[in-house]
Amino acid sequence: MSDSPARSQKAQKVLERFAKKLNRQMVGSLLACVHCGMCTDACHYVLANPGDPTFAPAYKADQVRRIFKRHFDWTGRVFPWWVKAKSVYSDDDLEQLKDIIFGKCTNCRRCSINCPMGVDFATFNRMARGLLVSVGVMPEGVAVASKDQWELGNQMGVLREDYLETLDWVSEELRQELGDPNAGIPIDVMNCDVVYAINPREIKYDPRTIADAAKIFHLAGENWTMPSEGWDMTNFGLFSGDDDLGGAVARRLYDKVEELRGKKLVISECGHGYRSTRCEGQNWGGVDVDFEMESSVITMLRYIKEGRIRIDPFKNNKSYTYHDSCNNARSCGLFEEPRELLQIVCNDFREMYPNRAENYCCTGGGGAMSMSEYSAQRLKSAKIKADQLKATGAKVVVTSCHNCVDGLTDLIRYYKLGMEVMQLVNLVANAAIVKEKVTAALP
Amino acid sequence: MSTNNSKMRLMKGDITNTEIEAFVFYARPDLQLGSGFGGAITVRGGASIQEELKQYGEVKVGDAVITSAGKMKAKYIIHAVGPRFQEKDTESKLRTTTLNVLKLADQRGIRTLAMPAMGVGFYGVPLDISAQVTLSMVKEYLRSKTGLEEVVFCVLDNREYNSFYAQLAKLGQK
Ligand code: SF4
Ligand code: SF4
Repeated sequence: MSDSPARSQKAQKVLERFAKKLNRQMVGSLLACVHCGMCTDACHYVLANPGDPTFAPAYKADQVRRIFKRHFDWTGRVFPWWVKAKSVYSDDDLEQLKDIIFGKCTNCRRCSINCPMGVDFATFNRMARGLLVSVGVMPEGVAVASKDQWELGNQMGVLREDYLETLDWVSEELRQELGDPNAGIPIDVMNCDVVYAINPREIKYDPRTIADAAKIFHLAGENWTMPSEGWDMTNFGLFSGDDDLGGAVARRLYDKVEELRGKKLVISECGHGYRSTRCEGQNWGGVDVDFEMESSVITMLRYIKEGRIRIDPFKNNKSYTYHDSCNNARSCGLFEEPRELLQIVCNDFREMYPNRAENYCCTGGGGAMSMSEYSAQRLKSAKIKADQLKATGAKVVVTSCHNCVDGLTDLIRYYKLGMEVMQLVNLVANAAIVKEKVTAALP
Repeated sequence: MSTNNSKMRLMKGDITNTEIEAFVFYARPDLQLGSGFGGAITVRGGASIQEELKQYGEVKVGDAVITSAGKMKAKYIIHAVGPRFQEKDTESKLRTTTLNVLKLADQRGIRTLAMPAMGVGFYGVPLDISAQVTLSMVKEYLRSKTGLEEVVFCVLDNREYNSFYAQLAKLGQK
């Protein structure tokens, strides 16, 4: 990076915003690293690139940390050479930083939970991404998805008419499949027990998951609806580090649930959507909501336990393993319920190792699937996940995240694993018994 | 709000899907439509709009150019290149951009025009600054001799609506 004292407008704005983003948690992580290296082997980039120290979490963290030290820590202000403090000056410095914080980390937080000092690199890596985004320095795919979500209300640029038309034909097909004229997707119904929000990927590439969810709600006799707008539960702000986007997106969804006077918001299977909507959105948006929020994994499990739907696990007759989405498992603690559900709806479940909060990233996390300039690096790092999947011997990998579906599908193709990727909603809908009227719970 | 014979109005919605004579698209200097509203313009209006933009090449911050709206409900799109990503003199550049939009609309004899929350969101212009600058500029402009009969601020969500509403209320008291 340049040592020139003249500073570009963008570099200056990055430093100004850096100061505003510092809080106790952030400063703790920026100061606490003792460079013990215990996080090093937690990172899939390191494991796939042995001998390249630039992939080590502590090295990547130091690229942000040295700016902090130069401007906000007295040691770096007084003895910059001693603590390796260094500022950013040029737009080129920012570009170099971009390639590290976007290109060499999926913000999976595996290093964070393996640090004995409590350093949460992923959290300040996200903050650093936000600093660059605020001055327009970001991978092209991040810009495209962010602009779509800001302006069209969803990160895949789905237009309102396409959304409604898709729900319409999904409803029509469901009526035909179930032979029931009352089946279908209710739109904007007031005072429902459940408002169901989805990932725009479901409209664009995977409407089967919407049909499966609608079938489950119908069979469970749920009083449910989907919103005509404010329906995207994903949030690119989590990936881009833009808290303003995070807050605006979360508030659109919350506002719509409140407008519909929904009692509970059910979030379809998506790790980052679940984390953003349920765990982070209220902070970003500066609002409190007074309705419940729940992952559809928990909803489906409850329907089975309450006897509202009955299951024939023999309908899912392959061998299945479960991949934990980082955002669900590591950041939100959602890892037992999906396993419990999967073991109800199939007979051949094979655990993956390591698992739960220690599972490896699908390598498409943190928005990596949208950053095509880093695809080669991403797929190389995916070797770790590929080996992990292969070792299970399962034919199908199940996950509760649309982003992971894409990440896993890509690496399975690249490493020629020949596995299929499914979500729990597919398996529950497939195993659900349609004809009988359900009156009792499973023993 | 009425100013002379012209009106200012606030609504929530998708500006690219509005029944209006012309709407403003907050554009990039290279005039590539890109994603977001740009994607909606391409899908709803057709590829001819990007073709039409070729005649202008690359334009400066502050400039505004006009195209047809293809197959959309509007007749025209004013592509306005405003300040982006905390660039220097954001506020004054936003004033210049807004003024150029209004002048261009007048030159083309446009009577009803929709404007978004200019620069808010992806391009990072603070919401309160956008509301304050554009609403006061438009109010001022509509006091002069103009053919514009109505300027509608078409914003995206409650967050934008509330901010514009508060600013509009302040202006109404002046
Ligand atoms: S484990 Fe923690 S303290 Fe050790 S190098 Fe990694 S971040 Fe630093
Ligand atoms: S957050 Fe994940 S990808 Fe990023 S450095 Fe840590 S372990 Fe590696």
